[in-house]
This record gives sequence, C-alpha cells and structure tokens, in this order.
Amino acid sequence: MKTMNFALVGVGGQGVLLASDILSELGAHVGFDVKKSEVHGMAQRGGSVLSQVRWGDKVYAPLVGKGSVDYLISFELLEALRWLDFLKPDGIAVVNEQRLPPLAVSSGGMEYPGEERIKQALSQASKEYHIVPALAKAQELGTERATNVVLLGALSRHLDVPEKQWLEVIEKRVPKKYVDLNRKAFAAGQAL
Amino acid sequence: MSQSKQEVLLGNEAIARGIVESGCHVVTSYPGTPSSEILPAVVRFKKELGLDTHVEWSINEKVAYEVALAASYTGKRAAVIMKQVGLNVAADPLMSSAYTGVRGGFVVISCDDPGPHSSQTEQDTRFYALFAKVPALDPSTPREAKEMVKAAFELSERHYLPVILRPAIRVSHARQNIEFIPVVKLQRPADFQKDPGRWAATPRFRLQLHKELNEKLHDIQEEFETSELNTSVPGDDRRLGFIAGGTSYAVLRDTLQELELEGRFPILKIGTSHPIPQRLVKEFVAACDQVLVLEEPDAVIELQILDKSKLLGRLNGVVPSAGELSPEVIRQLLVQQANELGMETPTEIDTGELSQLVGDLGLPVRRPRLCPGCPHRAAFFGMKRALGSKAIYPGDIGCYTLGLNLNAVDTCLDMGGAVTIASGLYQAYRQDNRDVPIAATIGDSTFLHSGVPALANAVYNGARFVLVILDNSTTAMTGMQPTADSGMLADGGQGQRVAIGDLVQACGVKFIEEMDPYRVQEFEALIKRASQHTREPDGGVAVVIAKRPCVLYDPSPLEENPVPVTISEDCDGCRYCLIAFECPALVLDEDLGRVVVDRRICVNCGVCVEACPKGAIVEAEE
Repeated sequence: MKTMNFALVGVGGQGVLLASDILSELGAHVGFDVKKSEVHGMAQRGGSVLSQVRWGDKVYAPLVGKGSVDYLISFELLEALRWLDFLKPDGIAVVNEQRLPPLAVSSGGMEYPGEERIKQALSQASKEYHIVPALAKAQELGTERATNVVLLGALSRHLDVPEKQWLEVIEKRVPKKYVDLNRKAFAAGQAL
Repeated sequence: MSQSKQEVLLGNEAIARGIVESGCHVVTSYPGTPSSEILPAVVRFKKELGLDTHVEWSINEKVAYEVALAASYTGKRAAVIMKQVGLNVAADPLMSSAYTGVRGGFVVISCDDPGPHSSQTEQDTRFYALFAKVPALDPSTPREAKEMVKAAFELSERHYLPVILRPAIRVSHARQNIEFIPVVKLQRPADFQKDPGRWAATPRFRLQLHKELNEKLHDIQEEFETSELNTSVPGDDRRLGFIAGGTSYAVLRDTLQELELEGRFPILKIGTSHPIPQRLVKEFVAACDQVLVLEEPDAVIELQILDKSKLLGRLNGVVPSAGELSPEVIRQLLVQQANELGMETPTEIDTGELSQLVGDLGLPVRRPRLCPGCPHRAAFFGMKRALGSKAIYPGDIGCYTLGLNLNAVDTCLDMGGAVTIASGLYQAYRQDNRDVPIAATIGDSTFLHSGVPALANAVYNGARFVLVILDNSTTAMTGMQPTADSGMLADGGQGQRVAIGDLVQACGVKFIEEMDPYRVQEFEALIKRASQHTREPDGGVAVVIAKRPCVLYDPSPLEENPVPVTISEDCDGCRYCLIAFECPALVLDEDLGRVVVDRRICVNCGVCVEACPKGAIVEAEE
C-alpha cells in the first residue's frame, strides 16, 4: 500500500495528542508500520501544535513535508489554514468548526480570517474539505473533551477501516467510564 | 503474528523499555525536553515487572551522572538521562570518567533538539563524544533506539567506557509499534574494588589513563568497521552516494521513495557516529563520484571523514548549517542533486503556489502563553506593578520564561542564570554608583538545579537584588516531575524533603518571605519591601518565595475556593488586561466591543480582578 499521511493540527490543550495517539494505534491495529511525531514542552502551552501520523508497509521517518499529507484534521479553523500547504492536491481536510482567536487578534491589530476566505482557501488547497460542528456535537453529548473523537468519527468516513476496529482502539485508549460516551461521540462524527 | 507483546510506544518509552530489558540496575535523570519521558517510562516498566531498579530524579545532570556512574563502579549496569544542554552541566564527570573508565555497563542518554523546539541551543551531543573520546550511537527510529540501548550496554562492558546514546527529538518524540522482549535479570551484587590508580587517579596516573583511552577508542573503531550498527543500501548509480545517520537517514529513505529514486543510489547508514568506521567510509566514498552527507544537527560524521574532496555537506555549504533537516530541506537537496545529474523528479510536489496562499493569508502567530490561572502570571503582574518597566528582570528556564510576553523577563541564558545574571548586573551598575532595581525570577526546580550555588555566591560577594522563587510545587514545563522540595520520589514514594526556604536561609539571605502571588496587592507590597531591603545599609539579596501550585498539577485549591469573575458594563474595550495580563480566558468580543470571560477555559482564579484599571472585572455574585 502507498503510505498514508495524516496531519492533526490545533491549539495546545485541545486534545490533538490523544487523537493522534488513537490514529496511530489504529494503524498498528490494522497491521501497518506506523510512525507518529508529536510536540511536547513549550509549544503545548497554548501554541500551534502539529502531530503527524503515517501508515504504510514500511515507514521510516515520523515526519512528512509540505505537499505530502493525505488527510488534514484540524481542531480549529485558523490552524487548518496555517498547515494547508502540507496537503497533497488530492488531499482531504476535515475541520472542526471552532474559532480560537490568537492574542494578536483579540488584543487588536490582526484579523481572524472571515468564513468566505477560509472556505476559499480550503477549497483551493484540497480535493474536498468538510467543516464539521464537532465541538457542538461534543457539547450536546455533555463534554467538549469528546471533540477529538467526534472528529475522528468524521474522518472515519473517508478511510477504509471497519468501524469495529476503530471502536476497539478507542475503547483501549479511553478510561472505562468514558467508553460509552466516546462510542456516542464517534457515532456522532460518522453522521456528520 | 509472533506471540511477543507489541505496543505503540513513544521513542522515549522504547528507550526506557531497552534500559529495563537490558537489566539495568540504576537509572538517574534530570528532566528536559525532549528527554523527560524516559525515566517515568522506566518507572512504569519497573512496576509492571516488579523490579527493584533504583530510579531517581536527581537535582541536576552532573549529580545524576555521578550517582549512576558510581553504580557502574560497583559492577552494576547504570544509565543517566538528560537533554543535550544538560550534558553541558554534566560535562565535567563525562570528561573524567572517559579516562577512569567504568565497570558495569554505563550508558549516557542525551537527547538532541535540532530546530530547536524547546532548547536554548541546537548543539550536537555527538561533539561531546569526540571531545571526551567516547563512543556515540545515533538511532534513526524508536525501534532502533531500543536496540541501541542494548548494544550500548554491551559495548560499554566490552571496553569499560561510558557510551553515549544520542536520540534526536524526532526519535524521542516519535511513536512506533515496538516489540517487547523478556527482561534480562543480571545478578550483580555491588562490589566496589579499590583501585586508587584508576578511581582516584592523580595527574601522574592520568597520562597512563589517557593512553589507555586512546587504545580503547582504537579498538572500538576496529569493532565498528564490521558492526551491524552501520548498514548499507545498495544502488547502481554511483554518480551520487549518501552517508546519513539519525533522523536524516529516515527522512532520506522516505524522500527517495517519494521521488521514485529508491534503490538507485547507494547509501551508507552510520549508526556509530563516533568513532566512524573509517575504512568502511573510505571504501564507500571511493566508489562514488560524489557523496551527500546528511546528519543533524551538526557535521560530526562529515568532520571525521578524512578525505573530504568528494563530499557535499555542511562544511561546503551544500547542506544548511542551522535548523532541522526537515523533509522539505532534504527533498530540495535531492531534487537539486538529481537535476544536476540530468534526472527528472516528480513535479507534483511543488507546493509553491499553496505556500504562497498560506503566506498571503498573513495568519497571526499563536505564541505560547501561560495557562489560565497560572500563578506565575500573578507573580509577574505584581512584580511589574511594584517595580515598573525601568527595573531589569533576569529570567530563567521553565514555563515562566513566558514572562517574556508580560515584559517581566529580560534575560534567559541557562539553568540558574537568573541569579548569576542578577548578581553581575548589580556589580556592573554599582561600579557606576547607579541604583537600578533588579528583580530575578527562577522556578523551584531550577533553583534546586543550579540556583543554590549562584545564590550563595551572590550573598558572599555582596550583590543586591530581589530574587523571586516561583515555587509551583513541581517541574511543570517538562511534565510535572517532582522536586526535592516536595520530597516526592521518581517512583511515587516519599523521600526526605529539602525545603527551598531552608536552603535560602543557609545561603545567608537575611530577607526571606513566602507569599501566595494570587494576593496581588499584598504581593506587590512585599516586592516593594524586598526591593527596599536591597537598598538598606545592612541590606542584601532579598528572596521572595511565590508559593502556589501549578493549576495543571494541582487544581484542588481552585476547586475548593473558586473566585468566578464577571465583566461589568464599565469595560470600554481598552485591551489593557489583554496585553498586560494576557490570560487566555480573557477575550475581546468584537461585536460587544468589550472583554468577555471564556468560561470554557477560565479556572476561576479571580486574579484578573486586579488587572483592570477601570475596575470592570469584578467578582461574580453567587
């Protein structure tokens, strides 16, 4: 199989790491050679974060360069734009509909891109893009912390991996008392 | 499918697994990105397997190095773990122990940070291997890192030398499926054999030890000529060859695949970056017209290659001399070389247009900030209010370096640098009879690491400044490792507490006060009094311990005493709080034209009540 590359992006504290953990576990569960890169330390304190996950028959490095990502999964609208040039021309973007204005915006001076601009850029950079209300769905389920699993549910529609295997990995990765919630979150994402 | 257990592990966890599987008896460390997760993973495996491995978070890297080294003196296996700049701190014992040698296998794990992502330099640990004349192994993947731990222990025991393992950040912080193998249980009762000519060698004996070291290194190089740690990939097109190590090797293999050039050019992978297998390298270079050398973050392999006439690398400017060798950089290098050889490469990877698009969007940078409720923010805010912007604020290494955003950190040199820079600034201004307020900040763990001798020195030499010890009860930046002040041990057990206040007192400081920085007004007054103390005839260094636990580490005080706030109609959207206080939970609502509280992330610390000059941030009525 050709190597499949994912980029998960967002803001420190949004749960990007757990989502990329689940995605890499899933790759290994399905039988691929898996590599993943993640960010620790300073950047975790509210900065932009990028985690890459790679599945393939033989994967050497945990990183891929610009123009090589098949799936861009963004936890935030502006962050999706920041990493757009990582997408392949036939890449797919799945973006959580949430705005977290950086300080440079909220303290004045800079502007958060408007909805039209965001859509235009996404459509220019990807084969298809989906802005999904993952945060809102998670809130409906009672906790924003489930946003990452809702997003993974939305991503799962584009991947040829049986639902059963997704759920097996999610069950393994989340605390027991949250398994039911995360099953619902995953289902909500699939329906988006 | 084999029966052995597999798990997707972080590179650092894979290294920890390698340490445990090698039967290592003593493991010490001081936390630092990207090395911090190794010791906690050793603790995890130790507990799962019921082993009695001694693990400790040492006070600093030099101490960690020496504690582990002594275990090796007794014949046990030992490992010491740190980040690359930590090895600067441990350089003294490294140099000396190369001469004395070791007995039980002794592995020095020093994680590099090309980029740099979370360090003050991009320095290359492997240079220390050349400097100290010890071997260094350089893994390309987490799996290989685990295998190299085992190889390093065996190498160390064959030659009685410390062996450096140098994982770079993309190995330490990569994840990969890793196979577990059974743990070796080595029976090695502690047995220190007195040998003063070695373990207590005076200069007279050191010359002999140096000669011995040279012989060991020579033997090791011979061994590396045929070692499995160096491998080659065949290729018929010998117009170009590659010599690569570490992450660069992994990226090279992927990029060749991506450019449909896999299997075309020969590759020599160097896992033993010091000493390099000279004959193997010479033969490889002789067979190629040109050789591109790819390694991070510096030209350590390249420098060791004797005939450089065919080399393309950092030394002749072909490879960039700073920054990560990211997939983009290596791709560009390969495309350039392929084009020079008249070869075509796939063009669909041209991202120029998209990069232009992203550039044109002019996206605001999202810089890291202190968390909502962070006690450091409160302390910095109080300090600035007390001493203003004319004061000089030496800072240090930790989350609180982000005091930069609040203009409350003017210098950041190294661990403990806040105290020494404050001392030196004082002496420089005093010479000109100028009274400039100096207020330094240092974290609890950093103070214990190297602030204590610096403070003793300041008191001894009559320096005068305010030192604020930001005591949040943990080593927050690197993932909440316990400190000696908490008394908690690396494996969760209880040790003997070493109180920061006692240490400050023992350094001879006369002004020592502790306060919760959340009490902004009182804290401001305390800083003023401390500053006053530095000016009194019999004054000196004044130490304020700003005590309040990190909100991520221990949210319980806030849960017990929440102070929810609300923003009144008096807010006119002046943005003062956003800039001077910079709490992520305060955001400007463009439509309302005033600041609102982001309830999702607000932790109800209530400190921002002090941050509005118009009094518009008020405690919410129940």
